[in-house]
Amino acid sequence: MTKAVKVFSKTLMVLLVVTIAFGGATSCKSKKKLAQEKAAAEYAVKVDQAKKDLTAIIDGSTNWTADEMTQRIATITSYNIDDQEVKGLIVEAEQKVDELKAEELRKAEEERLRQAEEAKRSKFLTIDEQFKAIASAANIDEANNQIQKTIQEFETPDIPVLIIISKNADFNDYDKPTTISKFLNYLKDKKQYKYAVESVKKNSLGKITELELIIK
Amino acid sequence: MKKLAYIFVTLILFASATAMAQDQLSSQRKQAVDSLALEKVRDLSKYITIIGDKETPWSEANRVIDRAEELFMQGSEIGVSSLAKTEISYYGVRKYFERLMRLNYNKVEISWYNIEYVSDLQRQPDGTFVGVITIFQKFKGYDAEGRLVYQDTTKKDITIYVKRKETQIGGRLIGFWDVMLGDIRVKETSK
Repeated sequence: MTKAVKVFSKTLMVLLVVTIAFGGATSCKSKKKLAQEKAAAEYAVKVDQAKKDLTAIIDGSTNWTADEMTQRIATITSYNIDDQEVKGLIVEAEQKVDELKAEELRKAEEERLRQAEEAKRSKFLTIDEQFKAIASAANIDEANNQIQKTIQEFETPDIPVLIIISKNADFNDYDKPTTISKFLNYLKDKKQYKYAVESVKKNSLGKITELELIIK
Repeated sequence: MKKLAYIFVTLILFASATAMAQDQLSSQRKQAVDSLALEKVRDLSKYITIIGDKETPWSEANRVIDRAEELFMQGSEIGVSSLAKTEISYYGVRKYFERLMRLNYNKVEISWYNIEYVSDLQRQPDGTFVGVITIFQKFKGYDAEGRLVYQDTTKKDITIYVKRKETQIGGRLIGFWDVMLGDIRVKETSK
């Protein structure tokens, strides 16, 4: 009887050990699975978000700056997502950012030129206004008076006036050079001033010695 | 010595290439030259109006004649027609303007319109560009009582010569387009 009890308790112990052993292992396995499933879900979200962001960059529906786009593409690239669609989108998005950067550079250059042109215009505004006054004079006497006033700004009535008709990369095309005296009378005759002062050279007394205009 | 010769040849080649580039006209430059030539014809139109205007002071008219004469090549002629005569008379430029200033009307109105190319500027072997611009001239002559006593409309063809030249100004070499007007031929005259 005692033997039977001993065998029974031994069997119970073995069963208990086996149950604990198997039960614990099963619990570990389900935790791993859960972790895997969680990781897979997170990865899917990441891929989905990457696709959305890249598409937004490509179709221009984001408010990010070009630098922010570059940063986002770099982050997505660092994920090493093994998905052909994402890889293709990255290439497209990079091209789009390159185009945007080139466009931003072009606009910045245009703005710089515009500001430089404006600064130049305001610098020569007085001369331009004097020329306009001659062209818009009501009659010959008024135009002649204006010419007499304007010509005082020049070293002599014969100083050269150059008129640019076309600007090229490393040289300009000019109309036949004339003198300030002839040019001012030309404005009186034509009753039209369609130029802008491009450059002015002055002597030590501040009188103009050379005038360059451009056709507007 | 060899190095010097190399530099010299390179400089010559560079200068020739630059000169060739400046002679070959891009469409933008060609357009600028076309416009410049048209503008010279418009200048002449304005000068003719001023010279013909009886209210223009004599000294002003003479100054404008000088400017107008400068637009033409030496020896150019301007045709004059009338509804009363079938033949067309041709005058030297100066003489034409002097006659215009002394026309026997109390008031003269001259206007040019439809100024356009009939033959585009074409490059000639000597580098000169030659073209023809046509204009329509409306002439009106009034008597002392302000009555319109004569009017006609004349279609005229003006030959245009354009050549690229260079000059030194303030130590700089300036490349400019010299536009010269040639003969002005009468094509038709109507009322």
